[in-house]
Amino acid sequence: MPGKILYLIVGGLFGLLFNPFAFALAQNDNDQWKIDESDSAASELSEVELIEAMALTSRAFRKAAGRVAPSLVTIESYGGVSAVQGRIGGIRKQGEGNTTGIVISPDGYILTSTFNFIQRPPVISVILGDGERHFAKLVGRDDTRKICLLKIDGKTDLPVPEMLDESKIKVGQWAISLGVGYGDTSPAMSTGIISAKNRIGGRAIQTDANISPANYGGPLVDIEGRVLGICVPMNPQSQAVAAGVEWYDSGIGFAIPLANANELLERLMAGDYIRPAFIGIQSGPNPQGDGILVNKVNPKSPASRLELKEGDILLSINGNPVNDMLRLKQLINRFEAGETIRITVKRKATGNDEELEMPLDSPPANATEPLALPKIR
Amino acid sequence: MNRFGWRIAILVGCALQITGNQLAVAQQKSQSSFVNRAISKSQPKMAKVFGASAGKVEGFATGIIVSKDGLILSSQGVFLDGRQVKVVLADGAEHIATILKRDRETQLSLLKIQADTPNFFELSAESVGEKGDWVIALSNAFKVADKDEPVSAMLGVISLRTTMEARLTKRDVAYRGELILIDAITSNPGASGGAVVTPDGKLVGIVGKIINSSETNTRLNYAVPSPVLKAFVDGKASVTSDVKPVMERQDVEFGIVLFKLGGRNNPAYIDRVVRGSPAAQAKLKSDDMIVSIAGEKIGNLKDYAESLKSLRPEEEVLMIVKRGVEMVRVRIAPRLKK
Repeated sequence: MPGKILYLIVGGLFGLLFNPFAFALAQNDNDQWKIDESDSAASELSEVELIEAMALTSRAFRKAAGRVAPSLVTIESYGGVSAVQGRIGGIRKQGEGNTTGIVISPDGYILTSTFNFIQRPPVISVILGDGERHFAKLVGRDDTRKICLLKIDGKTDLPVPEMLDESKIKVGQWAISLGVGYGDTSPAMSTGIISAKNRIGGRAIQTDANISPANYGGPLVDIEGRVLGICVPMNPQSQAVAAGVEWYDSGIGFAIPLANANELLERLMAGDYIRPAFIGIQSGPNPQGDGILVNKVNPKSPASRLELKEGDILLSINGNPVNDMLRLKQLINRFEAGETIRITVKRKATGNDEELEMPLDSPPANATEPLALPKIR
Repeated sequence: MNRFGWRIAILVGCALQITGNQLAVAQQKSQSSFVNRAISKSQPKMAKVFGASAGKVEGFATGIIVSKDGLILSSQGVFLDGRQVKVVLADGAEHIATILKRDRETQLSLLKIQADTPNFFELSAESVGEKGDWVIALSNAFKVADKDEPVSAMLGVISLRTTMEARLTKRDVAYRGELILIDAITSNPGASGGAVVTPDGKLVGIVGKIINSSETNTRLNYAVPSPVLKAFVDGKASVTSDVKPVMERQDVEFGIVLFKLGGRNNPAYIDRVVRGSPAAQAKLKSDDMIVSIAGEKIGNLKDYAESLKSLRPEEEVLMIVKRGVEMVRVRIAPRLKK
């Protein structure tokens, strides 16, 4: 059976590519660009064989993309998209093109990135793999993961891709990002590896495959075409709605794994709007030692409700010491608005350490009502 | 084959490979990889190009040798506009180049040096490479390589072969031909004119000038395909130009009055349908939202106005409108505007 033989060869090739000895082979010596004839004459595999081996990886990439392709959708929005000129939140404005989404249930739930919906288009349509166009409504949104859930009606048999459990994802394995953002009907592909897991408060995996507006909302798949996550713009140092876009195509890209996200998906299906956590202090390093120094407390914020004052020192969050601003952001990133954390504060007024329960809020810029469903006039 | 079988095959394959490789490593420690060979074969065909700079615009680029008698293909740029253009070959030899021709649309230039160049790229009239294929991009991005130093190599895959609307930066015209998008990052100063090759050393195309995608508003990493290069070097008329023959434009209309409140970025909702008009015959209604005309998405009033310009009177097109939550498809032919 020729199919089996092919898989065997492909398998062998993966072996070649994941094998540390193969990497040793690939290391260049210092002979610059000059060809060492004695070297190539001695090689065990001919050049043709090596090139054929490389072509097999490409074939595996295409096969992986082909497996997930029926579940990819093109999302169009009408109105609102180009309403903002210049820059949004410090980044260049969005392009004018379509974006990518992925079917997650046979009855028409579709996940995509919130990047596509920063400007809240009044009407959204979805083109399915078979070319059918449907109107979609925006059901739920998670700004901590930069994903949102759309729903189309009237379908019962949409192809749902296989998702790979996050615990089975390994750093170093192939990762292929796919998206239709460049406007072609066929998705653009970029390949790389999984760079790290458990990023951004444990919400994201990291890849060096190119992640950009061309594939935000599209899937990151493994070499077998199983979905590892949804490509999103993210930056661990910022909760801004478009943060992370400045890192597009940089080799630092993020995707949100979903195989174990049933609870999250149920919340989104129920219409939840999940927002990033916010405590409401401006702070700096503490010159006297541990913790960070509160420089300013935002009015009507979780910090002001606990009557934190300028000069207080934030020592820990849920038992984790906070010693610099980055660490504070990382810790806050683990939570969402509405959750409660336990903080330890050294009060300037009394000099005492106090342990306090702090219900988290969301940043004021986002503190609006949940995103309205598309309005039909 | 089921999924289980697939995995078994991979495992077996991996196991075989590991044993095989250990032997190979033991026997031939200094064996170079295929990528290394493709790079080695290509480096002698590369040229570093230096010329005038203007303000913040760099005065350098990359070029590829395309004939045995010193023809060098590069991109357009201000580096061509100075008193002289200097070409540095892989062996470090410097040559003064003359500019044979340059093309505004493809943003290519052809240079000539007085030297024998036995190592050169064959320009293929056929497209080379498909989506997912490995490619190696060679360029002197950021002027990293000096004199006889080899230019920088990057590995990536072909992301997409596509014709799309792309914007060149600043005053240049848009390139409308086929682009080969790659996922190696080549959109950097000085990279244009670099080579994009397959692992067996075939030229896929050359790294183009920095352009933005109007779809995503991001910089594109792409190659101008080999057949376009060949046509340019051979002196044929620009094959990439899909500029439509100039016709006297006739203003057309459907007999639709759109809601104009809220600016040009609003969706194209129909306010009123003119009695007896093509729109009335197609049974379009007030409050319908126009979604697409002739396959082009109509995202807003601006798109609608643009779309009308490309239509001809009495030529039927497909229009899709949103009526309530329904998608309605109508065939409609615009009429000459009265």
